[in-house]
Amino acid sequence: MQYPDNGAYMVVAYVITAVVVVVYAVSLAWRVKQES
Amino acid sequence: MTRRDRALALARRGQVITGIALAGLVGVFIRALVFTPIERTQGPAQKIFYVHAPAAWAALLAFAITGILSLIYLWLKDRKIDSIAAASAEVGLAFSVVMLTTGPIWGKTVWGTWWSWDARLTSTMFIFLLFIGYRVMRGAVVDPEMRARFSAVIGIMGLVLVPFIHMTVYLFRTLHPDPVLLKPSSPSMPGVMLVTLLTSVGVFTVLYVGFVMQRYAIAILRDVKEEAASAVS
Repeated sequence: MQYPDNGAYMVVAYVITAVVVVVYAVSLAWRVKQES
Repeated sequence: MTRRDRALALARRGQVITGIALAGLVGVFIRALVFTPIERTQGPAQKIFYVHAPAAWAALLAFAITGILSLIYLWLKDRKIDSIAAASAEVGLAFSVVMLTTGPIWGKTVWGTWWSWDARLTSTMFIFLLFIGYRVMRGAVVDPEMRARFSAVIGIMGLVLVPFIHMTVYLFRTLHPDPVLLKPSSPSMPGVMLVTLLTSVGVFTVLYVGFVMQRYAIAILRDVKEEAASAVS
C-alpha cells in the first residue's frame, strides 16, 4: 500500500517529545538536589 | 519527621512515579511506531497524534487543576494550595511545549501549513502565553500573599479558557480536527489505534502526577530554606 512519504515529520515530533519530557524530568531532579 | 524530610520523601515518590511513566512512554513510542498501523491517507505523520493529543490533554488538565486550586486558594487562603497550583501550572507549560511543537509538525504535512491563526490554535497559544505570564509574575512579585492572589486570578482565567478551547472546533471554522475521544458519541478511531492513544493518555497523566509531586516538593524545600535564612538573620 502506498502512503504519503512523511515519516521524517513523525520522527522529529517523537524526538522533540522525548527531549522535552526527559529534559524537564532531569531539571526537576536537579532542582530537588539543589534545594535539599 | 521535619517538613524538609516530608518534602524529600514526596520528591522521591514523585521521581519513582516519573520513572515508571518514562518507562511507559518508551512503551508507548514502541507501540505507536512499530505495532500501530499506518493511517492510509495521512501516512506515518498521523502517528504524531499519539503524542500530540495526550500532551494537549495533560497540558489542559494541568491548567484546569491550576484554575480549580486557584478558586480554592481564594476561598481558604492556604499557601499550600497556591504552591500546588503553581507546580501544576509549570508542568502544564512543559506539556504545552510538546503540544505546540508537535502540532505544527503534524499540520505542515497534513494541512500544508505550520500554523493557522484559527480559533483552536490561537486560543491554545493564548493559554500558553497566559501561563508564561503567570510564571513571570510569580518571579516578579515578592510578597507571598499578593503573589498567590494575583496567581489565583490568572489561574481562574486559564480555567475559563480550557472548556472554550475544547469547544472551538464546534463553535468556529477551524483546520483542527474534531475531538476523537472527548465527545458525546463513541470514539471515531479503530480499536488498535484507540488503545495506543488511551495508553499514551494514561502515561502522560501519570507523568503529570510525578512532575507535580516533584515540583511541589521543590516549592516546600525553597520555603524551608527561606524560613531558615530569615530565622538566622
